Amino acid sequence: MNRFVGMLLFFAGVVAGLIALSAGFYWVAGWLGWGFNALANAISGTPGVVSPGAISFGASVANIVTLLLVLVMTSGALLTTAERKWSAMMQNRIGANRIKVFGSALGGVPFLAADALKMLTKESVEPRGRTRLLYQLAPALAFAPVFALFAIVPVGMDLDPSQIPGLASRIASGVVQPIGLQIARLDAGLLYLFAISSLAVYGTSLAGWASNNKLALLGGVRASSQMISYEVSLGLSLVGSMIAYRSLQLNEIVVAQGQSVFGGIPAVGILLQPVGFLVFFASAFAETKRAPFDLPEGESEIVGYFIEYSGMKFGLMFLAEFVEVAVLSGILTAVFLGGWHPYLFEGWLQANLSPFWFAAVGAGAFIFKMTLMMWLQFTVRWLLPRFRFDQIQKLCWKILLPAALVNVFVTALVLLLDPSMQLLAVVGAVTIVAIAAITVAVGRAPAPEAGHGAAHVVAGH
Amino acid sequence: MPYPLKNQPADLRESMYFPEIIRGFGDLARHFFKNLFFSRDRNPDVLARKRGGFGYSDNVTLQYPEERAPYPPGYRGLHRLVPREDGRPRCVACYMCATACPAQCIYIEAGEYADDPIEKYPVKFVIDEMRCIVCGFCVEACPKDAIRMDSGEHTPPSYERAAQIWDQKRLLRGPSVSYQYDPWLRRGSPSISPEKLEEMRARAKPFPSVATDEASQTPGFSVRALAQEARERAEAAKR
Repeated sequence: MNRFVGMLLFFAGVVAGLIALSAGFYWVAGWLGWGFNALANAISGTPGVVSPGAISFGASVANIVTLLLVLVMTSGALLTTAERKWSAMMQNRIGANRIKVFGSALGGVPFLAADALKMLTKESVEPRGRTRLLYQLAPALAFAPVFALFAIVPVGMDLDPSQIPGLASRIASGVVQPIGLQIARLDAGLLYLFAISSLAVYGTSLAGWASNNKLALLGGVRASSQMISYEVSLGLSLVGSMIAYRSLQLNEIVVAQGQSVFGGIPAVGILLQPVGFLVFFASAFAETKRAPFDLPEGESEIVGYFIEYSGMKFGLMFLAEFVEVAVLSGILTAVFLGGWHPYLFEGWLQANLSPFWFAAVGAGAFIFKMTLMMWLQFTVRWLLPRFRFDQIQKLCWKILLPAALVNVFVTALVLLLDPSMQLLAVVGAVTIVAIAAITVAVGRAPAPEAGHGAAHVVAGH
Repeated sequence: MPYPLKNQPADLRESMYFPEIIRGFGDLARHFFKNLFFSRDRNPDVLARKRGGFGYSDNVTLQYPEERAPYPPGYRGLHRLVPREDGRPRCVACYMCATACPAQCIYIEAGEYADDPIEKYPVKFVIDEMRCIVCGFCVEACPKDAIRMDSGEHTPPSYERAAQIWDQKRLLRGPSVSYQYDPWLRRGSPSISPEKLEEMRARAKPFPSVATDEASQTPGFSVRALAQEARERAEAAKR
């Protein structure tokens, strides 16, 4: 019971911490923007001028630091611990707890330091006959695109810089462009996502090819064929959302999810596009190369494309996987879970909180949903065994791709009939209800008939 | 019993995947949240631990070096030389155990008590626990119930081989035992004072007919001793 109360308090603390962290992100963005403005003024010799360009540039730099280095990197690193502890909880184990700080295992978090220390101090062994340049380049090629993917994810809503504490007296309201917790607001948006996420396969296939190892080569080949296949359904699954929200920009998609259909029900992506959500989830899973899609690194058959990598080079590839989980959770959240809309008491919060704190609550909600998605991916990873290679290709080309295509046409047709998204919401709700009904109705495996087993025992089986 | 699996193509439920995936997902989530919100029972008596009910996680892990499950009553554990009440070993250095030992891990050097013209005693009694195959023949061979394997613990690990060679100083431990037919009780021994002798005679048990007799087991020493010790340690730590 103590633990129950403790966990409730812990979760309250986590939510409060996420909101505080988001507030910190906004604060850093605002003040760095102001700092760049002051710098620009000092260079050009025009004190007291507020230049919107300098402020938004500073805010972007701040976002790179806070979102990529703090949010994504920290979640990627924490996921290595979470992998152990969460899987332990799902399997009734305890999990990593042998490193103790003042007698407490702290939920396994100190293992981060141990892992990092081990990876960094390990000898880097390189195989003879490797292709040196590509071998050295591959970990970076695997890691960088995944990281760059997060540039278009809108973590927080737009906020006028004058609302940030301390800046109100320095910047007049409405003068400068609002700053959001998004690194790059590209018009191409989701197209950038497709482009960059297909680049990640270069790292893995080059690693497999350059290590001069047949098993690594097999892993690399598997990775490229799997990821190129799933690229198609990944792209098509998001087309429905593009049509429904009429934008490629992730921030606009999130804003559009704040509308309500039938008065009150939010037009959240998972309601309008349940099939798109499922297909994107499965394809994103295949992109992360984690179980059940972990054929490129099937430990029990081929050790994987990184078999010849050791030390921090291996660590980088390993971390890239976890960072990819975090980044794809972010995209899932933005496109299908309503991004930074807290939804719960949203109207009340907006009315009663200052814009700064409302934005912080929104960004906290985004990180919370993102964590939930990461948890979902980990749960599925511990639920399913590895697919066979033909099953993987069959799942992609015969199930996910047709489902995504049908979803695109149905979405387009429904929106043609009713542009107000209400009919689409009805279709989505019907789909969700149908999935739930099938899950409930298509029951368990029939129990073996009574007496049957006993007869076998008597017969000596 | 082997589970009979029919060799037939997947039915609708199986080929649809997702109902079973969602169901399995619910199962995992149930375990996850139960183990997240409830802690495991930390009762030092690990056999009495509660598990799975409301308020307890489904965890079965024993944190081994800190928590141990006691071995069952018949467990052949680390040897001990059974002491008499006066602290000397019951062993009379008859070499029966050393003869019976298939691994030849027992080394005995016999000696005589200066004050007792009849009884022998082991000057050296050494067991190489690394050679021992834990068969228990020595216990069965012993006519004096002087060597037992009822300590309820296994041989502890060590960094040196020498530490696995147990001499009399380490082997002689545990509760003392006396039987009515012990020769030193029947005829008396010069080294035992008359009052002590009376006390030992009063506490002596009838000789056991088989080694698994109740009389040959030391109640409270082997079975739950570790659990009891752990409980006491926990109490001491609380205080």
